[in-house]
Amino acid sequence: MSGNVQNNDTPRVVIVPCSGIGKTYGTVSREAAYDLIEDLRPETAQLVPLSLLVLGDKAARQAVADSPAITIDGCKLACATKMVQESGGTVAQDFAVLDVYRRYRQFKPQGIAELDEGGELLARALAEEAAEVVDQLIAGGQNG
Amino acid sequence: MTEFLETTVDKFIFRVATDRFYNGEGVWAKEENGRVRIGLSDFVQQRSGDVAFAEIKPIETSLAFGDEVAMIETIKVNIAFTSPVTGIIVEVNPAMAEAPEAINQDPFGEGWLAVIEPIDWAADRTRLLDPQAYFARMKTEAEEEAKKL
Repeated sequence: MSGNVQNNDTPRVVIVPCSGIGKTYGTVSREAAYDLIEDLRPETAQLVPLSLLVLGDKAARQAVADSPAITIDGCKLACATKMVQESGGTVAQDFAVLDVYRRYRQFKPQGIAELDEGGELLARALAEEAAEVVDQLIAGGQNG
Repeated sequence: MTEFLETTVDKFIFRVATDRFYNGEGVWAKEENGRVRIGLSDFVQQRSGDVAFAEIKPIETSLAFGDEVAMIETIKVNIAFTSPVTGIIVEVNPAMAEAPEAINQDPFGEGWLAVIEPIDWAADRTRLLDPQAYFARMKTEAEEEAKKL
């Protein structure tokens, strides 16, 4: 079973967010990933659920092996980054929600199942930073 | 070299440095050549979570014992801490502005908050907990926290 992982020939960057449930920063990481793949860079960013990597899903592992990855971690355990590395992938950029929040203190996130406005704005800010990295990686890949 | 008292509660290991005193909030105070360096205990940093911001009162601030000296914002809470010593702030840890995670990484060392020129450290010290007393208090608090999980 290959879950939600897409396979096609379009150059893509893999996005792996934290899977932490019940934590505000974990929710911010996932919302940022959704913003990125659904709104900002649907053509060039591909979500790979961390849970599939943990389970050893073949398609998920192949996706991170084939494409550069951007990881979004909700806490210092950095599970997304570690799992991509353990799955044979290359982490092109790792974002930690706490570090991003330090750059956007006006967006204090609250809420768990549903983020408040601050959380949504922080997720969007993180997604926009990640989108720039996606563009750089795609441009680098095409130039290379 | 600093020695520690250590206990494990649930899956968490907490350490208490034995070369300093503590107030009830877990702010430590260590006398160094007539001045007093202050910081937060390992229990406080673990209970509070990853520190996003730390705001320390500026140099030359006069403090009475119990006055607010610092505020930290973590992923969980905003907490104000009071001074365990009466005196004047003469140094603030510059790392707090750019890398307050030092509080989490090394609470008894690089994560110190400020240095205070005390007015009467001998008197203040009698109002603080020694390491053994703080260790017992911290352990009780940690066990109560664990029951809530």
